[in-house]
Amino acid sequence: MRFSFFLREALGSIRRNWVMTMAAVITVFISTAILGAVLVTDRNLDRGATSLKNRVTIEVFIKDEAGPEGQQALEQKIAAMPEVKSFTYISKDDALERFKERYGDRIVDNLPINPLPASFEIQVNDADQVEVVAQRFFDDPNVDNDKGTTNGVQYAQATVRKMLGTINLVEKVMWVVTGVFGVAAVMLISTTVRLSIFARRREIEIMRLVGATNWFIRWPFVLEGFMTGLVGAVLAALAVWGSNWTIFNWIKSTDLDYLSIEIYPLWLQAGTWPLGMLFTLALLGAVLGSVGSIFAMRRYLRV
Amino acid sequence: MIVFEDVTKIYDPDVVGLQNFTCHIGKGDFAFLVGASGSGKSTLIKLVLKELEPDEGRILVAGRNLNTLSRRKVPLLRRNIGCVFQDFKLLPTKTVYENVAYALEVVGEPRRSIRRKVPEILSLVGLSDKVNSLPHEISGGEQQRVSVARAFVNHPPLLLADEPTGNIDPDTAIGIMQLLVRINRTGTTVLVATHDRAMVDRMRRRVLQLDNGRLIRDERRGGYDHPVEAEPLLQEV
Ligand SMILES: Nc1ncnc2c1ncn2[C@@H]1O[C@H](COP(=O)(O)OP(=O)(O)OP(=O)(O)O)[C@@H](O)[C@H]1O
Ligand SMILES: [Mg+2]
Repeated sequence: MRFSFFLREALGSIRRNWVMTMAAVITVFISTAILGAVLVTDRNLDRGATSLKNRVTIEVFIKDEAGPEGQQALEQKIAAMPEVKSFTYISKDDALERFKERYGDRIVDNLPINPLPASFEIQVNDADQVEVVAQRFFDDPNVDNDKGTTNGVQYAQATVRKMLGTINLVEKVMWVVTGVFGVAAVMLISTTVRLSIFARRREIEIMRLVGATNWFIRWPFVLEGFMTGLVGAVLAALAVWGSNWTIFNWIKSTDLDYLSIEIYPLWLQAGTWPLGMLFTLALLGAVLGSVGSIFAMRRYLRV
Repeated sequence: MIVFEDVTKIYDPDVVGLQNFTCHIGKGDFAFLVGASGSGKSTLIKLVLKELEPDEGRILVAGRNLNTLSRRKVPLLRRNIGCVFQDFKLLPTKTVYENVAYALEVVGEPRRSIRRKVPEILSLVGLSDKVNSLPHEISGGEQQRVSVARAFVNHPPLLLADEPTGNIDPDTAIGIMQLLVRINRTGTTVLVATHDRAMVDRMRRRVLQLDNGRLIRDERRGGYDHPVEAEPLLQEV
């Protein structure tokens, strides 16, 4: 009975102010949709064997003739570099395993010996350091370079690194835009709720007079902001997820599918930020809406 | 029911609302509050509702000390006080029935008891045939009856009226006053702030007269500005 009263009052306010409410919903939509896009981008950069972030990895192949001493010498050299975040040793057997995983057993089973070299996979702290670190292995006698080349050291091309840098920058900008639109959303919702408070000032006066509790008076307005935020955010979650899905399918149908784009799940899924796209954005939208209401009430609804 | 002890209320910057005001209004009393415009009648009523805080003095209402009553408990205080104002304060988009029901709804009254109480009180104030009218479709006197119905629907122990007949012609005003007297007969304490000289003179009830925030007269059976001898017209309503 009480909740239905609040809901009825809140929906009444929304209907009365629908132009303002639409503006607020759109602002919430933009803010949360951008956040959603950041989540999708980030996830795709972080994961997947061929994802861009893996390109800050340097692979250093070890000559078969280098033996355990050569491997140890390389390991010590790598461990001493301050730019190195982490590194792993991939033995010849590991390499073969990986090869099998990717291309199937059949080719490998016909080989008389394991032709794959052992290697170190090195992650550096910063994409800018890849080049410098890689160069230190060009002349190393233990590295499996063909004569006159440096093909025993594999690392991302400069363009890829630039692209990664650009994406990072774009992501930062998107965070800022999310924030700016988030603030705008809070302000718009606050204005909308203020108009509702004004439109219902007679009701509020009577409620005070007959002894309605403060929270009883406040709830319809909290709910109004909350619902405005929620609607904007849910629409944004569906839009982001839909675009993600469309792009995913488009990429699969072209020869770009080595990019292995992933879909950020709409719903709960283990192994991700535990809420999924829908809940993450809905949570943000609801918070924006409620904060907007609370601002309006603190200014214009003394109870 | 209402106790004021040496209460002073000064508005910013230094306008006197009420000054060293002391009075005691007992349970079941019917009292008029008279005085020139700006003498502090509305101020007193707002203090009883704890819409205003006194600068000095002690106020007790329905057994509660308003000086120490927490903000959170103010709604509970107000549920024990019915209020009627000069401008009726009805919701223009709600019917007579809905206006009264609204007051019950917002204090969490169950729907079933709302359906029982509202027709009952509307019949008491003589508006059974107007339940579905909107406020602008009925007369001022009828609107004031709706507002009295709303104030009294929960049978509060105290009813405050701030110039309830201020917007109503004298004949209709008598009807409203009769209603307040009937409410008083049920044991409810009634305090009426008014400018209506003729009404006060006829009723011969207790009169508290204010002048510039001070109590200058408190008479048990007074007139608007002097004790009256005339036989009261409304004695037997
Ligand atoms: N909110 C306020 N701020 C400042 N002064 C106020 C305020 N409310 C009332 N006053 C002043 O306090 C004094 C008493 O006002 P109050 O409203 O109590 O008078 P009243 O007796 O109800 O008058 P009326 O018969 O015209 O309704 C007046 O001088 C008025 O101007
Ligand atoms: Mg007044």
